[in-house]
Order: sequence, then C-alpha cells, then structure tokens
Amino acid sequence: MGTKDKLISVVDLVKEYNGGTVKALDHCSLDISKGEVVAIIGPSGSGKSTFLRSLNLLETPTSGAVYFEGINLADKKVDINLHRRRMGMVFQHFNLFPHKTVMENIMMAPVHLKLMTKEEAEKKAVELLERIGLADKKNEYPNRLSGGQKQRIAIVRALAMEPDVMLFDEPTSALDPEMVGEVLDMIRDLAKAGMTMVIVTHEMGFAREVASRVVFMADGNIREDAPPQELFGNPKDERLKDFLAKVL
Amino acid sequence: MSTTSFFNFTFLPKYWTMFVQGIEYTLLLSVCAVLLAIIPAMLLAILRLSKNKVVRFLSGLYIDVFRATPLLVQLSLIYFGLFNFFRLPTVYIFGFINIAMFVPGVVALSLNSAAYVAEIFRAGILAVDAGQTEAARSLGLSSSAAMFMVVLPQAVKNVLPALANELITMVKESSICSMLGMMELMWAAKTVAATTYITLGPYVVAAMIYFCINYPASKIIEAIERRMRRGDQR
Repeated sequence: MGTKDKLISVVDLVKEYNGGTVKALDHCSLDISKGEVVAIIGPSGSGKSTFLRSLNLLETPTSGAVYFEGINLADKKVDINLHRRRMGMVFQHFNLFPHKTVMENIMMAPVHLKLMTKEEAEKKAVELLERIGLADKKNEYPNRLSGGQKQRIAIVRALAMEPDVMLFDEPTSALDPEMVGEVLDMIRDLAKAGMTMVIVTHEMGFAREVASRVVFMADGNIREDAPPQELFGNPKDERLKDFLAKVL
Repeated sequence: MSTTSFFNFTFLPKYWTMFVQGIEYTLLLSVCAVLLAIIPAMLLAILRLSKNKVVRFLSGLYIDVFRATPLLVQLSLIYFGLFNFFRLPTVYIFGFINIAMFVPGVVALSLNSAAYVAEIFRAGILAVDAGQTEAARSLGLSSSAAMFMVVLPQAVKNVLPALANELITMVKESSICSMLGMMELMWAAKTVAATTYITLGPYVVAAMIYFCINYPASKIIEAIERRMRRGDQR
C-alpha cells in the first residue's frame, strides 16, 4: 500500500484521563486508505468511540499522531477547523440543531464557512434530501421527525460538506429497532458509492457485510485488524473469540 | 379620613401626575438597565466558561463582587464616586428625567444586573447538550461560531423565563434609586406621603402599581416562551 492513498494514519495514539489514572487508548496505530470501509467493534468501554473521536480531534490525544492526508492533526499549530470540514461525523444521538429547520441544519456550515453560496447549498441540500426521500421534511424542525429520519438527516448534514471521509459513532444504537434498517441502508449506499468510512458499531451482521476491514478493540488496544471473513470466520485473539461467542 | 388608613387615597386628585411620572421613570430605568446588562452578561458568562484561567478568574471576581455587596452600596459608590469624576450636565428629558441622575442610576443597576444575568446565561449555556457543540465543531465551525450560532440561541431560549424574572426584579429593585432622589415610583410615594402627611395610602398605591406592571409582564413573557417552544427538544 503506497503512502499516497493512505487517507488517515494513526500512530501510537494514547489517550489518558484524570492525569493518567485512566487509559482509554493505549498506543493504537491504524492506517485507513481511500475507499476503505473500516468497522470498529468491541465491548463497551474498549475505547472504540474515543478512538473514532480522536480522528477529528473531538478528543485531544495525550500523545501520538493522527495524520490526515499527511498532516498531523494533533499538532497544535494545525488549524483543525480546516480539516474537520472534510471529515463528516455522525453521532449516536444525532445532534441535530433543534432551533433550526432541516434545511438550516444542512446549509448552516457550508454557507457560514463560505464553501457554497446560499443557493448552491440549498440546491445541494434538496438534492440530498430527495435522494433519501425526505425532501418533504425540509422545513420541519428536528423534533417533528422520527429517530431514523433524524439520523438520516444528520448523515445528509455531514455529506453536504462533501467530506473525504465519514466517521460514524454508533449510528444506530439510539434507534428503535424498526428504524435501524433505513439508516444502515443509507450507509450501505454510501459504501457502494466508494465513500471512505470508519464506523463504530454493534451491528455485527452489518459490519461483516459492508466493511472491507474490521478492527476489534479491547481495553484501549487494537487487538485484531482483518477483512471481515477472516476476523469473523477465523478469529485469533482470545478476547475476540470470547467477544464473538457472546454477541453472535 | 384618618391619615394612617391604608385606604386613604384623598391625595390622588392633586398628586396623581407624580405617580404617572414615577411609573415612567421606573420603567425607563429598569428596561434600560436590563437591556444594557444583556450583552456584558453574555460576555461574562462566556468568559466564565473559558479555558483561560485568568479570564475565568476575572469574570468570576466581577460576578462575585457584585452579587456579594448590596445594591445600595454599589449605587452610592457609582453615583458619588465614579460620576463625581465624570460630571454629567443637568439636562432634562421628557421634562422630568435629569440625565445627571438617571445615567448613574442606569449604569449602577446594569452593572449589578450583568452579574446576575451572567449566571443565568452560564446555567443556560451549560444546559445545552455537549453534543450540540461537538456536532458544530465536527462540521468545521470555530468554537466561537459554534457558541454564537448553535449554543447561545438555545441557551437564550432556555433562560427566557429567568431573564423575564430579572426584568421584574429590576422594576422592584430600582426603587432603591429613590434613596438618591431619582424621581421614580417609590420616590413619588415617599414625597406625596411627606407632603400630605398621609402615611400609608401613597405606598399602597405604589404597591398596586408595581403589581400591575410585574404581574402582566410575567404572563406576557410566559406566553411568548410557549410560542417559542416550536422547535425544541431533540
């Protein structure tokens, strides 16, 4: 794998809380190339969300580096805002802005950051909403939408920035079971379209089907990193075997 | 009728205009004070939540000093102290409001109010889910853009009832300005009582007027708040 198509490169990432008494990430390293879909699985408290949130510096690493297209985001001299706009993020609890309509939610960042004119952003937003069949909701406030609709709009909001990578932090964990499908379908479509994605998930079937690579984390360590058939079919790490026995 | 009766209002035909002027003075004083307090209070609240220790300390110091000393003391220091250096000309607006007294009164009340409103805003900002800031930051917004476009609008909505209460408090608290001779509602009552020797009636009238201002005001703001609820909740 050439360094050229390496989109994200995490090197020796450490995250400690409370002055080192809690180690959330313990020397994690991982490379992610353009077009890859990486699913991160593991028991709760294993550091997978912390790892994902470190990729766009929502968590500031204690030490180590996160290279995004060759630039170390953990370097304090780097203007993180310029890079975050190219890394879309989707949260477990959607985090739509409740005081803004669906359209305003989608258009706010691209217009404010002068990446698009108001007209361009509007066109883009409508186009994205039409693709997921929610164009009729464009003037609604988020509290009038179902969980599945909220999450799909949150994905659209991130996509409107035309990001190079999408980060998903347990995108279906807060949803009612009957709404999980619509969100997973949308992520699946993104994968087919070649979007680079990192997905923290508890949906093992989905990880197996959509991911090009699955990463297993436990106790702040990356324990195994393999294509899904291999990781699920022939797990090597003891913790992984144990974990899979419980969840599958 | 006895001069000590609660219901002796015989002074009204002659002196009612003083009460009307008092109402105008009181309203102008308190509305100006609270409006002028809002922007400094927002800044104080944001600074109070800053990552910078010095900034956080200074903002906290301001808030603590103004909340831990009596308004009358603050008013006296500002009126006799600060505005002794910056002498204002004696100019009357609306025929009875003397700028040289009114401005120090507004300044003192709003400096005091800013400390309380800052704490209201701080609570309102903290009540906004941290996920909101994270979502805004993940889209590439700066921390100040996230604050002003995402967090503050929600915080302001959260604190509207508390802000309304502050305005109502200010209408009442501004009565303290009568001590320095500002011709607001309480001063009118005091002056009428002293002039006519009717000791209670003027204060009863003042109490009724304060109630008639504050009670409907709180109801109106409740109604506005209900209408603003539309887009709420996640």
